[in-house]
Amino acid sequence: MQARTANERRKPPLLLIAGLLFLLAMVAAFALAWHPAIAPVATPAHDSFDSKRLARGRQLAAIGNCAGCHSAPDGKPYAGSVAIATPFGIIYSTNITPDADTGIGAWSEQAFRRALREGVSRDGHLLYPAFPYDHYTRLSEEDIGMLYAFLMTREPVREAAHGNRLRFPLGFRPLVAGWNLLYLDKGPYRPVAGQSAEWNRGAYLTEGLGHCSACHTPRNALGAERKRAYLGGGQAEGWYAPALNADSPSPQPWTVDELSAYLRTGISARHAIAAGPMQDVVHTLSHAEENDVRAIAAYIKSVQGEPAGQRQRAAASLQRASLGSLAAVRPSGQAPVAGEEQRLLYLGESVYAGACAGCHDAGRGIGSSAALRLPLAVAVYDPDPRSLIRIIREGIMPAPGETGRWMPGFAGALTDEQITALLAYLRRHAADLAPWPDVAAALKEASSP
Amino acid sequence: MSTPAIRIEVNGKQHDISADPATPLLYVLRDDLALNGAKFGCGLGQCGACTVMIGGQATLSCITPLSVVGKRPVKTVEGLGTADTPGPLQQAFIEEQAAQCGYCIAGMIMRAQALLESNAAPTDAEIRRHMALNLCRCGTHMRILRAVRRAADGMKGEAANRGPHE
Repeated sequence: MQARTANERRKPPLLLIAGLLFLLAMVAAFALAWHPAIAPVATPAHDSFDSKRLARGRQLAAIGNCAGCHSAPDGKPYAGSVAIATPFGIIYSTNITPDADTGIGAWSEQAFRRALREGVSRDGHLLYPAFPYDHYTRLSEEDIGMLYAFLMTREPVREAAHGNRLRFPLGFRPLVAGWNLLYLDKGPYRPVAGQSAEWNRGAYLTEGLGHCSACHTPRNALGAERKRAYLGGGQAEGWYAPALNADSPSPQPWTVDELSAYLRTGISARHAIAAGPMQDVVHTLSHAEENDVRAIAAYIKSVQGEPAGQRQRAAASLQRASLGSLAAVRPSGQAPVAGEEQRLLYLGESVYAGACAGCHDAGRGIGSSAALRLPLAVAVYDPDPRSLIRIIREGIMPAPGETGRWMPGFAGALTDEQITALLAYLRRHAADLAPWPDVAAALKEASSP
Repeated sequence: MSTPAIRIEVNGKQHDISADPATPLLYVLRDDLALNGAKFGCGLGQCGACTVMIGGQATLSCITPLSVVGKRPVKTVEGLGTADTPGPLQQAFIEEQAAQCGYCIAGMIMRAQALLESNAAPTDAEIRRHMALNLCRCGTHMRILRAVRRAADGMKGEAANRGPHE
């Protein structure tokens, strides 16, 4: 009791300072937070838009994957109300169909442009940066116009905004002005002189509309991307989003052709099958303009650079893959194990032999009864096992009605102990790397949706 | 050279199985225990005809090796009732005439059973999402969904009737 009162006595000054700082921040934010409303307009008629621009807008919306956040799985397209879990609470996406009352039907192109470039709603309130306006600010006026044409010609749906469930005090929107002050670097993309037109197109799409780094770059405590670790690996919906820069975990260096095919099909025979949130991305990218996707691939490849350290990994992983059976692999760089670790590896080997080898050791091309050789699979080289755990548990399944590679989930078949053992075995034999630290925490994290 | 027997519990009975630990559970159920409800469909965990329950969860027995079952109880369609005294879910499938060729039905029933044991009052959307992994080539999906709905409503009714007395 004594210690407690002493503690409480120390608290007030800290609270006071924090309170004052908070107040100061609020005042500053208020000054920055005010934006005028833009007058409502009558929803533009369908035939007021040029059909070519509309078609182009559809392809651009595919690159932005607008539907990814704005179309609920059981709902109408672009009607919003998709729950997006963030470290700051749950944010619900809004209705971007041209319904005048609940959607963006009353938005002029100017209001739409301001939302994309500055994160401000038509009525002047600030949008949360879960909406990636820190990327869309790079968009050209031309592309914004085509996206506007596309969205304003969707089926209008009456669907009121779902209230967000954010941690206190983040429900107070003007606070976003502070975030914008720190992290929003407004303005369209500026082409880099000396780079090819394709490279610049790729950079523009990757950094702007594609907002690739929203998932593939790590974020700081305030949820902003850490620019110094650009495309250095981040997370999305509980999955590890692999580094796309020089830190790429892929043992086999990517080529532009492979990246391009992967982005459009979700299949790369030397690297991976798209899983988790990336499935949605490749599904929409299959509707994008092929040259645009290729430009993204070319730009990502240039960010990745020529693989230096990857070469040795590449040769070694190919050699392990060529052995066919993982059981034949003798890990080269790993310390010998004994006792509990040894037991875990034996268990992992038996799980692999029974549950995985049937497809993954089959030794044919990736098809309906053969799967990626795991010494090639990027996920076993990731810095943490989150994605691999989710693939093992949930499998890889295309959305209903979509084609794609399919792997059954093993959530019902394998216990946590068996998955832990399998991870230890795969890490050692497929990747020939040191064990992942703290698999237990990753297992726990990956079990929450 | 014979491998030590592996003990598993199926439909409440213990069995000692002498088989390679990598043997799919489906083969053990059908070949060693003569429980022929679960079917071999694709053998790749893609169709759901082999679905059984392990430790309460719907599991594809064709891609589940014997070695991973451990102490978790296995339940197959034979564990839900008999032809003379079908269980509530089996009864609902009969009443809705949900089987055409019947090949997928044991798997369908076991996947539905796992749902109803964890969620006694599923919504139609939850039933659809849960059952999506099991395929039927005859196209009786609508009847299958109705049967699951009927069983869920029936069980709820039973629970409600039972409620005040217990």
